[in-house]
Amino acid sequence: MIKAFKWWWGIVLAFSLLGLSRAFLPLAFLNEVIIFSIYTIGCSFLLGRVGFISFGQPAYLAVGAYGTAFYLFYFGTNPYVGLLVGVLSGLIVSGIVGPLFVKLRSDYFALVNLALAVIIFYLMQKVLADITKGDNGLWFLTNIASTPVLDLGKPSHFFIFALLVAMAVWAFYKYLDDSIFGACCLATKINEDKLKFLGYSNYSVRLLAFIMANTTTALAGAMYAVYLGFVSPEMSSPHRAPDPVVVTILGGVGTLYGPLVGAFAYTGMKDAISKLIGNWELFIGFLLVFIMLAGEKGIWGTLQPHLEKLFFWKKRKPETDSSAKAPR
Amino acid sequence: MMDTQLLISGVIFGLSIGSIYFLMAIGLSLCFGLMRIISLDQLLYYSIGAYITYSLSLATGNVWLGVLGGVAVGGITAFAVERLVFRRIYERELTFSMITSFGILIGGIGVIKFFWGVVPRPVPVPTMSQIDIIGTDVPVYRLIVVGVAALVYIGIWLFLNRTIIGKAIRAGIEDVEHVEGLGINVSRLFTITFIIAGALSGLAGGLHAPLIMVDPAMGLEVLAFVFMVVIIGGLGSIKGTLISAFIVGQVVSIGSLIYAPLAMMAPFAIMLLILLIKPTGLYGSTLVKK
Amino acid sequence: MPPHSAANNDDLLTVSGLNVSYGESKVLFDIALSVRPNQIVACVGRNGAGKSTLLKSIAGFLKPTSGSVTSGQTNLVGRKSYDIAKMGIKYVPQDKKVFSDLTVQENLELGSYATQDYNWDRVTDYFPKLKVLMARKAGFLSGGERQMLMIGRALLGSPKVLLIDEPTEGLAPSIVTHLRNVFTELSKNTALVIVEQNLPLVCAISSKVYALKEGRIVAELADPDSIKVDACERYL
Repeated sequence: MIKAFKWWWGIVLAFSLLGLSRAFLPLAFLNEVIIFSIYTIGCSFLLGRVGFISFGQPAYLAVGAYGTAFYLFYFGTNPYVGLLVGVLSGLIVSGIVGPLFVKLRSDYFALVNLALAVIIFYLMQKVLADITKGDNGLWFLTNIASTPVLDLGKPSHFFIFALLVAMAVWAFYKYLDDSIFGACCLATKINEDKLKFLGYSNYSVRLLAFIMANTTTALAGAMYAVYLGFVSPEMSSPHRAPDPVVVTILGGVGTLYGPLVGAFAYTGMKDAISKLIGNWELFIGFLLVFIMLAGEKGIWGTLQPHLEKLFFWKKRKPETDSSAKAPR
Repeated sequence: MMDTQLLISGVIFGLSIGSIYFLMAIGLSLCFGLMRIISLDQLLYYSIGAYITYSLSLATGNVWLGVLGGVAVGGITAFAVERLVFRRIYERELTFSMITSFGILIGGIGVIKFFWGVVPRPVPVPTMSQIDIIGTDVPVYRLIVVGVAALVYIGIWLFLNRTIIGKAIRAGIEDVEHVEGLGINVSRLFTITFIIAGALSGLAGGLHAPLIMVDPAMGLEVLAFVFMVVIIGGLGSIKGTLISAFIVGQVVSIGSLIYAPLAMMAPFAIMLLILLIKPTGLYGSTLVKK
Repeated sequence: MPPHSAANNDDLLTVSGLNVSYGESKVLFDIALSVRPNQIVACVGRNGAGKSTLLKSIAGFLKPTSGSVTSGQTNLVGRKSYDIAKMGIKYVPQDKKVFSDLTVQENLELGSYATQDYNWDRVTDYFPKLKVLMARKAGFLSGGERQMLMIGRALLGSPKVLLIDEPTEGLAPSIVTHLRNVFTELSKNTALVIVEQNLPLVCAISSKVYALKEGRIVAELADPDSIKVDACERYL
């Protein structure tokens, strides 16, 4: 019981804080933050744990979003089924491209993903324009049926749903980090040969990580679709490629709460800075360079050791050093 | 069946687009080969080259002067970035240089927006004249673009094979440590290579400007295509880059004659196919970062 | 523990208290050695004893955690490796990797570039074979020819000290004999530090032998009578 509590309390605390902030932050902002953080956790996992950076996360986001959108626009009305369809399409697409992509070196990997995003962009914008309505996008907000208990059509209900989903996602990734699989991922990042000697296949470890991460990204896409009731090719446009990478770095690569903190900061700053100086790219670009040069720890990576010291300085003092090096 | 006129103008169009991609891909390829970095910020020097061309041609009325200015400013910016940022990160792994240079690209786009605003700008074509090739009118400017790219290829070839600095760069692509061991200042070699890359990207931007509208995100728009050229050719190989720029240019242009939406997707499909067969690209080496 | 040799102005190269680590793991412990003009100094030891690490640290490719490397009055620690090479302390790596895409001539040109010493006759006097191979791509050379080219291009600029890593490894006996004569000849102008497994060769040419074991110098044989194969073997 106590063990279970110890394991869960960080996640519960993080999301309770987010839930409480509902009192003084606009709902639209919080919904955006939650979906964005789910969007980013896949990218963060790939970079931090497997050592792969992907400039093509919008591809998987769009796959999830369009999966959901097609269902809700053409076939059904139940948003939960729509979400499921979105996640499944993400699983299928990453299952198809994964075996090819994970064989590539990290630089090729990043760019091939970008290429996939471009392909999906043109696919949705031009080639499949008959069913995707091209740049006009698919509008299906009115198609979404109201459901009992949590009515996803209502932003306030959606918020609760999103919180629960995010908690589940975080629990999943925390579990991964603790598991042998998580250790294997780190091993394949640091030293491929050693993992091979231990009898694990780099290929399958990477493939599994790739599929899980990108299915998570597709989940975020599906949630966007349900939340906005609208999808357009813009979602996978190469212009959107920076977002998850920037948030990952901003939050702190490979940390568990980095994506959440990063998404919060990014969404917040985007609003504030666009209003203030109206030049968002200038700020975020140089912030990215700065974080990289300053030791690539990001916000959470920097804060975490301090927070731990603050809360656990009696209990876990000897541990703080090691956790500062490998924050989770 | 396609008629000859359409085909000829399609081929010329493809050659000119391929030339632009080639100019940018050379720099990327050299930077990867020698310094083992992925320099996404080359796309920034391309945009800067285009904007300088726009401003100078507006001020002086001469587009060629603008292009020259683009080359110079592209090279100078690359020099500054190399000194301020890349100096510190050569030792790091590939993904690190990739993310950092991506930050530079995004930040640089912000700088461009600050100076020139977000409205797309037109650049006049320096020569409107057409030339007759087998009964087809072909714009001379596109031929000039192809000619410039051909000259650059020859120039780079001569530089790499006939000058001592070029030979040192070729040697460094094989093994930087051995070059250092001979007493050659490799960090100067890195700087020279980076400036060449930046200047060529600036040249690409300047030459491309009259063919498109100049806008802040133009770098992001060609990013995928340029990297496709580099990947198909194989990172670190000039010859591979030339061949793949030619292929990609033709696929984009001939493809659009057959079915327009395919033009943008076909190169990516080809790239995936090539990587499936040969994961390091056509002429790519299996060199890894030490 | 060998005695620390005090810095001596006659020494071309003095290493003292040198500690080197790869990340967390320490590879060299408190190394001290000295090289005088015209000396051939050999380092022997098993694989992994830290011999190559020692040469690389002297040449500036690895950063020591502490200790000093001096040449005459100049401190070498912290200098760029190309500076050290330019000063005349040249490292010849063991991998026999010439620039395979460049011709033999171009390889030599790069050797000449730093010091602008284009006197290739010195190289071809030692290695006449290179003369006929000038136009060949170095990638097509045999192992022995590569080793000649690597030593040859390091000779340009008249280095004070040559640090040669496993020069005879995997080479035919006739070439080993040739290199042995070259080394003796070279030592008239240059000091040599050679990492070598071939003990008969070592004992035949060197005037001082350091034996390395697990990152430490366990023996220093400086007396010509003590430099014997069986004496060296004891420390391996």
